[in-house]
Amino acid sequence: MQLIFLNASPRGKNSNTDIMMGHFLKGFLENEENSLETFYLVKYRKNLEELAREVLKSEALIIGFPLYADSVPGSLKEFLEVFARFKEEETKPAVGYFSQCGFPETHHLRFVERYLEKMTGKLNCTYLGSIMKGGGEGQHIQPAPFMEKTFYLLHKSGKDFGTTGTLNFDILQKLARPETLSHDQIKGIIPYVNEKLWDKWLEENGALDKSFDAPYK
Amino acid sequence: MKYLILNGNPNDENHHFDDFLVNFSEELNKRGNNSKIVTLRSRKIASCTGCFKCWIKTPGECVIADDAREIAREYINADMVILSSPLILGYFSALMKKTLDRSIPVIHPHLEEVDGEVHHRKRYDSYPSAGIILEKEADTDEEDIDIAKDLFERMCLNMRTDLKFIAYTDQSLEEVLNAADIS
Repeated sequence: MQLIFLNASPRGKNSNTDIMMGHFLKGFLENEENSLETFYLVKYRKNLEELAREVLKSEALIIGFPLYADSVPGSLKEFLEVFARFKEEETKPAVGYFSQCGFPETHHLRFVERYLEKMTGKLNCTYLGSIMKGGGEGQHIQPAPFMEKTFYLLHKSGKDFGTTGTLNFDILQKLARPETLSHDQIKGIIPYVNEKLWDKWLEENGALDKSFDAPYK
Repeated sequence: MKYLILNGNPNDENHHFDDFLVNFSEELNKRGNNSKIVTLRSRKIASCTGCFKCWIKTPGECVIADDAREIAREYINADMVILSSPLILGYFSALMKKTLDRSIPVIHPHLEEVDGEVHHRKRYDSYPSAGIILEKEADTDEEDIDIAKDLFERMCLNMRTDLKFIAYTDQSLEEVLNAADIS
């Protein structure tokens, strides 16, 4: 199968989306008959039509993005609006998605997932499915076995996709865990993330004492 | 009440949408409110780069010095923000979404539990409530309306904003004012 991965993270190559999808794509390429090309949306900001023409030629397209305000980032929406101009073209890729969010629960991504499926129909494209995973931010502070499992399942999902051409629901469901968290789990996670991730970054920037600044009021 | 109406219509030639908002805004002012329309397509608004500096380096303010900064300031100082856009592919215009992506400095990076889920903590004591005005596309169906409603409710939950209404421009002005609970 011929696949294009469009990384639509505003952080481009330096993104959690890239790290995570890297494992999926490695699995995909284990089938020697498969081929892959990767595009970064940030490099095409001024040439969205050119990018649309590039991805149009592919058999399959996976668009990866971080959840922004509970939906696709504005810059990806901009691309989709340009891509939609080509909806009457005869050859169009089947389209799937990868999305991750900083929140630990994958549940946050289920709303945009439903949107993506419906929107893909508006593009006149076949929908391949969506790979959804919470906990995409702060990977370096998460327990190693947890990230290893995530990468293992992404790899497995990619390998399976590279063989069957479809996204295996059971693998995606396992990958998505935890779908939600209990009150006790939340109580355990929140102080850890606030201190080890956000306060650490604030401190590194000499801004910890300004953390709660409210400059507009 | 102080209303900030963000007009996310990207199309200069879609007068119907702009006119609907002008009428809505005038009606608010007639009833003793202070309402202002910001037409986003005539403003300079860059895309969020995901640098997080608004959370970890200059807390509360985006480092990109363009109009989105001023809009974030007006946003937090309004009593109610009206997010308005024609539906395009079943969602806000990219123009509106780019503006909203740049409004995350008004919340705090810290997490807290809200309704049994992990969300971001407030930066300010109070937030504007929100209303949404949309224009349907030719193919908009009940499912689209339901999907969009979910996305907007989730966004407002994360922005710590109380979503008061979602209205459509095929409704009468009176219906929209009623939905917004504006007497």
